[in-house]
Parts: sequence; structure tokens; C-alpha cells
Amino acid sequence: MTIFYQVVLDGLMNGMLYALVAVGLSLIWGVMDVINFAHGEFLMIAMYVAYWLGFIFYVDPLISWMASGVFVFMVAALTYQLIIRHTVGKPPLSSLLATFGLAMMLKNVCLNQFSPNFRLLSDTVLGGKVLHLGGVIISMPQLVTALFALVVVGLTYVLIHRTRLGWAIQATAMDKEAAELMGINTERIYLLVFGLGGACVGIAGGLMPSYLAVHPEVGTLFGLIAFVIVAMGGFGSIFGALLAALLIGLVEALSGFYIAPVFKYVAVFGLYLVVVMIRPRGFFGW
Amino acid sequence: MRQIIKRMIILSAVVLMGGLMGSPAIAADKVIKIGTLFPLTGSCALAGQRCQASVATAVELINNVHSDIDVPLADKAGLLDGYKIELVHADHQGKPDVGKSEAERLFNQEKVYAIIGSYNSAVTKPASFVAERQKKFFMCGCSSSAALTKRGYKYFFRMAPTDETESMEFVEVMKWLNETKDAGLKTVGLIYENTEFGKHAADEGKKAAADHGYQVVADVPFNPGATNLNSEVQTLKAKNPDVVFGACLGGDYTLWVKTMKQMSWLPKVALNYCTGYQDPVITKQLGKDANYFMGGTGYSPEFAELMPAVAAVEEIYKKKTNPSVPFDSDSIQEAVATLILAQAIEKAGTLDYETVAKTLHENTWESPLSLGGKVAFAPGGQNIKAMSLITQLQEGSYKRIYPLDLADTDPVVPMTPWADR
Repeated sequence: MTIFYQVVLDGLMNGMLYALVAVGLSLIWGVMDVINFAHGEFLMIAMYVAYWLGFIFYVDPLISWMASGVFVFMVAALTYQLIIRHTVGKPPLSSLLATFGLAMMLKNVCLNQFSPNFRLLSDTVLGGKVLHLGGVIISMPQLVTALFALVVVGLTYVLIHRTRLGWAIQATAMDKEAAELMGINTERIYLLVFGLGGACVGIAGGLMPSYLAVHPEVGTLFGLIAFVIVAMGGFGSIFGALLAALLIGLVEALSGFYIAPVFKYVAVFGLYLVVVMIRPRGFFGW
Repeated sequence: MRQIIKRMIILSAVVLMGGLMGSPAIAADKVIKIGTLFPLTGSCALAGQRCQASVATAVELINNVHSDIDVPLADKAGLLDGYKIELVHADHQGKPDVGKSEAERLFNQEKVYAIIGSYNSAVTKPASFVAERQKKFFMCGCSSSAALTKRGYKYFFRMAPTDETESMEFVEVMKWLNETKDAGLKTVGLIYENTEFGKHAADEGKKAAADHGYQVVADVPFNPGATNLNSEVQTLKAKNPDVVFGACLGGDYTLWVKTMKQMSWLPKVALNYCTGYQDPVITKQLGKDANYFMGGTGYSPEFAELMPAVAAVEEIYKKKTNPSVPFDSDSIQEAVATLILAQAIEKAGTLDYETVAKTLHENTWESPLSLGGKVAFAPGGQNIKAMSLITQLQEGSYKRIYPLDLADTDPVVPMTPWADR
């Protein structure tokens, strides 16, 4: 039974990390109808920021996540101003292709600047630390990242559902013209939403170098899983993203251990296909 | 007078045209274009870039006079009567389909004489098929899938030991550790990337273990580039094999090691095929966590006394890598592949494919950059003189532990637990 608990716990912790990566994407997609293909690359940039801060200035990921979050917020805001703004209201394919181009550009800039080398931060505060709970081993870096994820996802939920700004965001998402007639500056809302989406994935990326290697390809699979989560949870639903992420983390861990490790992504993407076939809007889609 | 001037003009024009047409033709004839095909982007890019630099190092030795370096062809400039090698680089991104189309491009459009490559066995397989179909050379440095040289190809030559050879070495080491260190090694687990390389390594590993009476209790393939290896390591931990054979490349190797540490688990012995274990950069990144893992190693700077000719060549190589690194087991084999092809061309005295292929097969070649010192090919192209040692990482350094006549250190068995490092 200990192994079962261990597998479930690993799945939940991974799921929470996925939720943090996906929540920003969900927000952008739900509010702006923009598919940010560069989301995984934003995660990669955040990891590099945390890595270099750790490598050069010995800043631990426990602190550098703030810098990563702010940095990717700015990158995302800049992306909106320079690229996305010109695609809003146009066919969805235009923003998708634009962000795909951005993803390629970011990946190749990092490849040229930092080489494809895998970089690991050694001697981080949490590095290699574990908690023993009965027979279950809890990896501290993963636990802390998971707790951060819960807090950030929770705060994002509160922001959207319990504040005037959040209501403005929801109003913009539901009917842009009506929101403008009510005096909401929708351009500014879009800018903020894109920045917030970046900040969420920035925070996730800032925490991850405490246990994962950084390299230009690191965001690719995380980005893909984030898309699956958003589609399963429902476009724009933060609660849906959290639920879908936890489900995916659990399915990945349980199928990986009880069926076969090589089967885990088959199960994840198989589940996604089933959900999309039965309920194309996802669990809690707007 | 007018006639004379007219004839002079015609003569000058003919000479000029002859010069214009002739010079490039001669220049072109004096160049042997060779393609390199490595993963320059993607998850194995760093290894690919080092392999490419290794080929460039060998070409530097072939094209220029380096009389102070004790390597065949280093004391003269070029091949035959003044041919120089010119490299054309290609990137297969670690993808078999890209590798195949790039091989076709190199042969058909770039008109290369041969291809050196291509690190990933999964790519080497289709790319070398292209070469064989065109009856042109594919010189393979370090791809280790035993299947590659079991196809009976005539124009395919591989320098490195295969995963079949390494698997046999692994079980020999296990037997030796049981006999001399009372290690109690009885069960084996395998973790490997789900690719041509990983699957073949695992097949050979399982076969070698079974042949020697060891029980395989865990068989764990994984998708390269996974976001986590928790299920994979959890599966190993649940089965708790005494020995793990690993075939994980690049970042997957670091993730595997880190995940084992997170789960507070280690086997008694971990033996690795030519993988992330052999990568000095990854070893440095892992720091103390890299220690006490073992694996097959064809070259490491710690082998300097066994391979004295390498040091001078390594200095050239280091200038071609950024960041500057010494050769590793994989990259050095690509230089060997280039030098052996060049020696065969020189000995054959022609670029004719049939003659050079025959020459390659019929001779034993001096190879100071190989651990065995010689290279000779069996039908199918496997280097039967290929050698590797079993090393163990101790304090970040590759220590030689087996075979005993070449060993310089006693192995640490079982591996020191994470908490005691």
C-alpha cells in the first residue's frame, strides 16, 4: 500500500506543477482566444533566468522565482504589444502561427546563446532533500513547487473571481464590445492577461531548476501537456485547469507504474482524446 | 599583320578560356567532400557538436603537416597527390527521418564522397541505408546498436564497441565483483530510452544477463525528453534489482540520476552503455551525484598513459569546442572513423569506391586514437579490435576498474548511499 501512496503523491505533485504551467495558458486562451504556442518557451526562459541567477549570483530558486516571474511577465507583455495585439480579432490561425514563430525564435536564441548544454544548479537549499512520511518519501523541491503552485493558482482564481479587475477580465472575455461600452480598457486588460499568463509560467520555471535540468528543449513537452490540460479543463477555467492537471498527473503516475512507464503518455493523451470527444468544451469551459 | 593579330587574339582567348575552365576543374578534382551528420540541435546536440569538432580535428591532421603528432597521415599535407578534405556539415536533430533526408541531400546535392556520423543509432540506421543503396561510404564512429553491423552492408564501417560487447563486459564485471568482492549481485534491471539504441542495448543486456544466470527483474523503457522519470524509477525501486543497466542519453541521464536521489534509492551497481555517463559536461553538472556509477568507456583523459598519442590531438580538438572540453568516448571515435577512411584512400591510391572498400576490409589499421591501438573490420563493418574499459566515477574522475590488467582503482561496491555522500 505504501507504494500506492507514493505513486499517488508523486502524481499529485507533478499535477500541481502542471497546473501552474497551464493556468497562464488557460487565462490567455479563455480571455483572448489566443493560443500561445510559445508558452513552453516562456517556461524555458524562466528556468534560464533562475539558473543564471543561481549560477552567477548564488540566488536560490526559492528566491529567484520572483525574478523569473517578473521577467517573463515583461517578456509576455512585450510579446503582446509587438505581436499579439496585431492578431486579436483576426482569424485564430494568425496568432497561433505568430506565437509558433516566436517559440522557434526563442528556442534558437537560447540554443545559440547558451548552447544545447544541460545545466543543473547544484547545492540549492532544497536540492536532494527528502521528507519521510511513514514509508512514503516526499521530495522537498517537488513538494515546495507543488505548494507554490497551489498558492499561485489559488491567488489567480481569487483575482479573477473576487476582484473588480477580475470581473473586468471576465467581462472582456465574455463580450469585448460591451465591456468597452462599460468603460473597461480592453486593450489594457489584454496586456495584463498576457503578462499574468507569462508570470504564472515564469514562477513555475523559476522554481524548477532546483530539481530539473535547464536546456533549450525543456519547455516543449511541458507546453504540450499544458495545452492538453487547458483543453480538458475548459478554456479559461482556472479551477478546470487545476482539476485537469491533477488528473493528468495521477493518470501519468498510476499508468506509468501499474501498466508500464512507457505507457504513461499514451494514457495521458488517450484520456485527453476521450474527454475532448465527449465534451469538446472541457470540464468547465466558458 | 592583321592575320597575326587575329591568330594571337584567338590563341589568347583559347588559353584564357582554358585557364578559366581548367583551374576550377583541377581545384575541384583535388577536393574530397565529406559530409558530417550529427545532432547539432535537439536533446543530444552537445554530444553532436563535439562529434563534429572531432571530425574537423581529424581533417586538420589530414590536410596539414603536423609532424610532431604521432598519428597516421599527420606528417603530410592532404591525401594521394595533394587532395584536401572539405567538410559539409548537416544536422539530423536526433530524428531518423531528418537524418535520412539529410544523407540524401549530402550525397545527391552536395556530392560528398562519404558521410561520417551520426551518434544516434536510430538515425545511423536509415542514413547508412541511403549510403549503402548509393554504394557510398558511411563511416560510423560511436553509434552502438549491434544491429547496425549485422545487416551485412559493404560500405558501412563502425569503430566503437557495440552494446552487445558492452553487455558481455557488464556481466563479466558482475561475475568478477561477486567472486572478489562478495557483492551478491543476482538480479538485473534495465532502464533505457525507447529508441533504436536503447531497445537494442536492452535486448543485448537481457540476453547477456540470462546467458550468465542473472535474473532480469525490471525492464523499464521510457520516452526520451520526458517531463519526469518518477514512474520509471519507482518501478526500479519496487523491483529493487542489484544491478541496473542504463541506456539514457543527455538530459534524460541527469533526470534519471536526480530522480533516484529524490526517491532515496540506488542499486548496488549501476552500469551504463555509451550514454550520459560518459559525457564529461554532464558529469560535472551532476557533481557528487555522478559518483560511483559505472560504464563502458573507450576514452577519457584519465587514460592518457594508455593512449599517449591522444594528448597532442586533443589540444587541437579543445580549440574547436566551445566550451573547451577534452575528447570523450563517443567523440574520439568520429576522429578515428575519419582517419581510417583517409588511410584507406591513401593506401588504395584511388577514390574508387570498390577498391577503397576492399582495402578497408582487407587491412588492419594503425589507430593511436583507439584504446585497442588497431582497427580491423569484420564483414558487415564492425571493428573487431574495438575495446572499452569499465570505469567508475570517483570524485568526478573516471577510474579504471576492469579488466584488471588495465585497472588503476578498486571499485566502490555497493554504491555509496545518497545520504552518506
